[in-house]
Amino acid sequence: MNAYLVLTIALPLLGAFLLPILMRSSIAIALWSGPAILIYGCWTIADIWLQGSTQPISIAIGGFAPPLGINLYIDSLALLFAFAVQLLGLIFWPFTLDQDSARRQSLMLLLVAASTGLALSGDLFNLYVFYELAAVATFGLASASGSSAAYVATLRYLILSGIGSVLTLFGIALIYSKTGTLNLAHLAQLAPAQLNDELGLTAFLSILIGIGVKAELFPVNTWVPEIYATASTRLSAFLAGLLSKLALLIILRLLLLIFHQPEAAQVLLILGILGVVSGELAAWRAKELRRMLAFSSIGQLGVMFIAMALPDGAGVLAVLALAIHHLIIKSGLFMLAEDWGGAIQRLRGSAKMAPLGAALFVLFSLSLVGMPPLPGFWAKFTLITELAGQSEPLYLIGLAVFLLATVIEASYLFRVAAILYQDAPRETLDHEIPKNEGLSLVTATLFGAGLIAAAVMIAPVGDSLNTIAVQVQDIDLYISTVNPGGSQ
Amino acid sequence: MSATELLIELTLMPLVAFIVGMMMVLMMRRIAARLQRRVGPPFFQPLYDIVKLHSKRTQVSHGLIHDIGIVMAMGGYIAAETLLPVPGMNGIAEKGGIITLLYLMMIPSLGLALGVGQCANPNGSIGIARALTAMLAYDIPLVIVVFGVAYAAGTTNLIDIIATQQAGGFETWGVVEMPLLAIAGLVAMHASLGKQPFEIYIAPAEIATGPMVEMGGKYLGGLFVMQCFQLYTTSVLYVSLFLGGGTTWFDFLLKSFLVLAIPVSIAYLFPRYRTEDLLRLMWKWPVMLGLIGIAFVI
Amino acid sequence: MILTLLDELLLFSGVTLLVALTIGRGLAAGWMVTILYGGQLLALTKMAALGYEGGTIASSLSFEVMGQMLNWRFDALSWFFALITLGSALLSSWFSCGAWERDYIKQGGNIWLFHTAMALNVFTMLILLASGDLLSLFIGWELVSWAGFLLMALAGGVATKAAMRYITYAMAGGMAVFGGLALVYSASGSLQLEAVITAVEQISTTKLWLLVILFGGGFGIKMGLLPFHLWQAPAYAETPGPGSAFLGAISSRMGLFAILLVLVKLFGIVNIDNLKVPFTLIDARDLLAWLAVLTIILPTFTAMKQNDARHLLAWHGIGQGGYMLLGIVVADAMGGAGGLLHVFNHATYQAALFMAVTAVIYRTGTSDLNKLGGLVVRMPLSFMVLLIGIIGLAGLPPMNGFVSKWLVYRSLLNQGMPLLFLAAVIGTLGTILSVYKLIHNIFLGQLRVEHEHVAEAPWSMMIPMLILSAIIFITGLMPGIPLEWIASVLQTVGLPVPQYTLGGVESNSGSLDMIWVIGVLFAGFGIGAVIFYSAGRSKRVHQLDNYAGGHFLSADVRYQYSDNFYAGLMHLIGGWYRGSFLWLERSITSMIEFLSLGMQGLYRRANAEFYLLSTALFVIAWAVI
Repeated sequence: MNAYLVLTIALPLLGAFLLPILMRSSIAIALWSGPAILIYGCWTIADIWLQGSTQPISIAIGGFAPPLGINLYIDSLALLFAFAVQLLGLIFWPFTLDQDSARRQSLMLLLVAASTGLALSGDLFNLYVFYELAAVATFGLASASGSSAAYVATLRYLILSGIGSVLTLFGIALIYSKTGTLNLAHLAQLAPAQLNDELGLTAFLSILIGIGVKAELFPVNTWVPEIYATASTRLSAFLAGLLSKLALLIILRLLLLIFHQPEAAQVLLILGILGVVSGELAAWRAKELRRMLAFSSIGQLGVMFIAMALPDGAGVLAVLALAIHHLIIKSGLFMLAEDWGGAIQRLRGSAKMAPLGAALFVLFSLSLVGMPPLPGFWAKFTLITELAGQSEPLYLIGLAVFLLATVIEASYLFRVAAILYQDAPRETLDHEIPKNEGLSLVTATLFGAGLIAAAVMIAPVGDSLNTIAVQVQDIDLYISTVNPGGSQ
Repeated sequence: MSATELLIELTLMPLVAFIVGMMMVLMMRRIAARLQRRVGPPFFQPLYDIVKLHSKRTQVSHGLIHDIGIVMAMGGYIAAETLLPVPGMNGIAEKGGIITLLYLMMIPSLGLALGVGQCANPNGSIGIARALTAMLAYDIPLVIVVFGVAYAAGTTNLIDIIATQQAGGFETWGVVEMPLLAIAGLVAMHASLGKQPFEIYIAPAEIATGPMVEMGGKYLGGLFVMQCFQLYTTSVLYVSLFLGGGTTWFDFLLKSFLVLAIPVSIAYLFPRYRTEDLLRLMWKWPVMLGLIGIAFVI
Repeated sequence: MILTLLDELLLFSGVTLLVALTIGRGLAAGWMVTILYGGQLLALTKMAALGYEGGTIASSLSFEVMGQMLNWRFDALSWFFALITLGSALLSSWFSCGAWERDYIKQGGNIWLFHTAMALNVFTMLILLASGDLLSLFIGWELVSWAGFLLMALAGGVATKAAMRYITYAMAGGMAVFGGLALVYSASGSLQLEAVITAVEQISTTKLWLLVILFGGGFGIKMGLLPFHLWQAPAYAETPGPGSAFLGAISSRMGLFAILLVLVKLFGIVNIDNLKVPFTLIDARDLLAWLAVLTIILPTFTAMKQNDARHLLAWHGIGQGGYMLLGIVVADAMGGAGGLLHVFNHATYQAALFMAVTAVIYRTGTSDLNKLGGLVVRMPLSFMVLLIGIIGLAGLPPMNGFVSKWLVYRSLLNQGMPLLFLAAVIGTLGTILSVYKLIHNIFLGQLRVEHEHVAEAPWSMMIPMLILSAIIFITGLMPGIPLEWIASVLQTVGLPVPQYTLGGVESNSGSLDMIWVIGVLFAGFGIGAVIFYSAGRSKRVHQLDNYAGGHFLSADVRYQYSDNFYAGLMHLIGGWYRGSFLWLERSITSMIEFLSLGMQGLYRRANAEFYLLSTALFVIAWAVI
């Protein structure tokens, strides 16, 4: 039964390659096959979830038991993210009928397949492969709009991503040369003895910086503002909302399972603080909504890195809460930004034309700056209580920076809100004022509804997140699940 | 104390104040005359003036607030007198204390300010603006002085402050124990009387007597009454704070008149200050003296 | 489930909000909401036992989220503040019904949003006042901040700008409190009040310092404590009339409530007193006291320079907050009572003043002090309300402001704090100067031609104003009424309680009995009136019957002294207004602007791969070494 889970990766992958061919024979089949695959994926994962098996499982691929064969590792966290990938893939599905749609849809399927793989994979090399696949799909999608700005942005992204991949590969190679294995569970067993030295640290840092390109880690995130501002908002939403979180997830797993050096946490902390500072400050002056959101996303990811840097996995719950919260908020905001492109000043009077859109913007902003009782508050609360408990002064600096950044964030977000609610300039005609409508507004409303639902049911949501966090922190469970009996 | 006695005291205290106040006005005019080598007015001149002003035929009112302002100017002082103990009579001094007394003493000026405001004459308004500024100037050293005395005595009750000084004899008088505060108080008191060189808000040559510009007949008469009370209240307050009050009416009145004679004599020797110079003067010397004085007290 | 009294109150408040939300567009909505505020007040009086005897009433609402217990309850402190909140909400809302409302709609205002914002403010304030632990306190705090933002921003234009400034300050305050919360949590392992009280005893001095700064600063921002005061005056002044009356009366007092709860009740004044500033003689408490007097003096003298009546009042509102904090920081029986009494008194006169000014705006269309004058004959009742209000604000007998300030002065005298005492008095003197300018420029002096046919404010506006005036006078005459509630509050927060009587306080070192003082004052006025009116009849001349330099003036010649009112004073102190805080605020903004530019430049650079490689090399080198 659980083996069907493999299909959530395999089917989109297959679909991605078959779609262009199908398109030639029957447009209808081609159009509906993509969503169908994704719906199936959602259903499969939801089914496993509903069976209520909270125990993690490991699926060996090809019949070889780990550590020799490759495996998928499925715990609540992996399931959650796999589900989010399929669902968001569906939500952000490029429902267009132009000439490029086949290419775009197959690329989207590829991205979904790779992202699901990232969420489920239990093996370092597989992670790398899926990571590269995701990157390739993104390049194609990012440049799909065809504008020259998009090409330039994509090229920059391509170069950064390429160098990042090389660095990641270098790190993986270092690990392999030392331990002779790439299976995460096996590595977790060997790490305390073999990787607890400079070599291990170097390997971690190489991987960190390589994967950090996707996770918007400072300073390898310079592609972010350009890509988000030029690519289609749906893709930006997917990238900012989900892919960055997946990259984050990988780093989190590596940190928890393999690299326990305090230096590793320290680097994360410093880079996180710098990310917060640079992102939020840059957003303060942004003149375009999308660019502002991009910078703010850098800042938010920086906060998650700070949370991740907490010793002994104390920050896992905070990372999870922040990540999921940010996933919902940023996706929603980017959907709103779809119709609100261009200079922010142009948006004057939008609230009159699109009251729902403006209200949603205010709702998302409030949650993002952590106004209780919205979920953003609880996410931030878990973070700051953990930070304040640390005796290391650097963590307290992180706390202070985080709080100050929130002030700046509130300041610029509500500047936009105030512009939305301003009266339009007198000479403007009604149809000149941008307004959100159609699919993007519906999608944003969906996210808004999700946010409010989470706010109302904050107690059960918090408890289940806590359960997931506890499970993720349990290294022995990971090892014994993947390698039953072989943990000694 | 029975209610009747209290009622008698409450009636007598303002009355005495009024009569003594008129004599103080007389003294002020006599001193001025002597300094200017004149003879000066006869004994009952202040009373004549008040009666004359109240019985004038032309009485110009600029509205209800104009009238009320004069009523407040007189009434505030009449009330204030009942908080100011004199030999043999304490009135309701223990129910208010010195802070309340100081605040009640502001009410007449504010009533006057309202009344003048209604007259719609810029000269009057400028005068009030200056008068209030002057208040800001002299009240600061005055407050320091009051703080010092009250802190030294450990109470804001004037009866106790006086009693302590009388019990200990001359050595415990405020002026001996707190000479710096006494000097500062004297300067502040002088300014609060609005006599030269601090008569910036009257300034006949500049703003046509300022607040008085629209006042005639009984309005001016009311202000005259107010001045009687003002001279009395100020000097008696000083006597109570620094000169041990009075055990008998004789030494009480002697002290009060002597204290008042000092600023009045100085007043007729000086020209007028500008507003900002008054502020500068008040905020510099008396404040400094007062603060040093308080430092000694504490 | 049985509803407790507190549940009823909160439910009532929620219903009010819902009513405002759903039917807020109709003209009757204002009356409906007003009646509901009355109902809330009634629900509050059912809890009057709290105000008279103390104790607590818990709400049956409580949650557990992520291991944190959240609960809500009312005690004497909450009750006292809730009474002021609901009282000012009721009267402001009443004021807004009818005439004002119609005018507001005619000028393009959104009355639905206004009523909703008011109801939301009241609801969130009640939630804040009911907080039973630090977490619910923070939740309430943020809710109140954002609700306030809504009310301040809804007028659009300048008001939105002021509200934006407010929200940046409020956010900074909120985050300071949030940080403090985290530190408290790490020290005590819980945010329940009892746990915090125990933990404070063991906390290190450095940490307590940090906590005092974070909480004091965070809550201080809301009450406009120096140097965080700049936002308040424009934000309150630009809110639509009744809204500014409500905000001016109670909004910034929420900061004082939180300070009372956290700094006084939880941390304890003694502990704060033990925090010495190194190398000096002062401690944290002195620091707070000095901040309080600076908050009294500087905004008061800024108010004196304002030329808009609403701004003038709003600046005074900041200054008066200083007296409350000062009294509480001195923390003896008189000081604590004075500070708390001033909260009540300030709410009454500030609301009355804003309403009177709004009435003037309603009739004349302006609050510019250089464009008014002489209105006393046209609007005598409004004049009276304003007069009573300013006497209260200036703290002169016979109004209630005098009693609370008297108590604060007395406490400073008892404790031997001459400089603070002097500063407090300077603030009062400055207030007298400033409010005279206010009443003079609006109601006294020459009547403008265009205002010759102005009528008195309509009764819908007049009645709440008169009620407030009556409260101002009655609580001035019998301060014992509020002092009884305050005694319970003082007990709740652990401060000494003074010996109070109906007319004032009893003390060995000088008492106060307002009934007597006011009695003789009015007797004095009576005698003055007898003297005055027994003299010959006076001839009433028309207000425009005036002369200058021997010539009669016609009404179209402006003959009013209003601009640069205290010219002599400004000659001396004019140069002291340097706008240092404005400069500070601007330089911080420019600094952020500059940094922001730098950061954008960082991201705009094309050689991203260079960053990547150099970072990688650097980090790896750092790791290896």
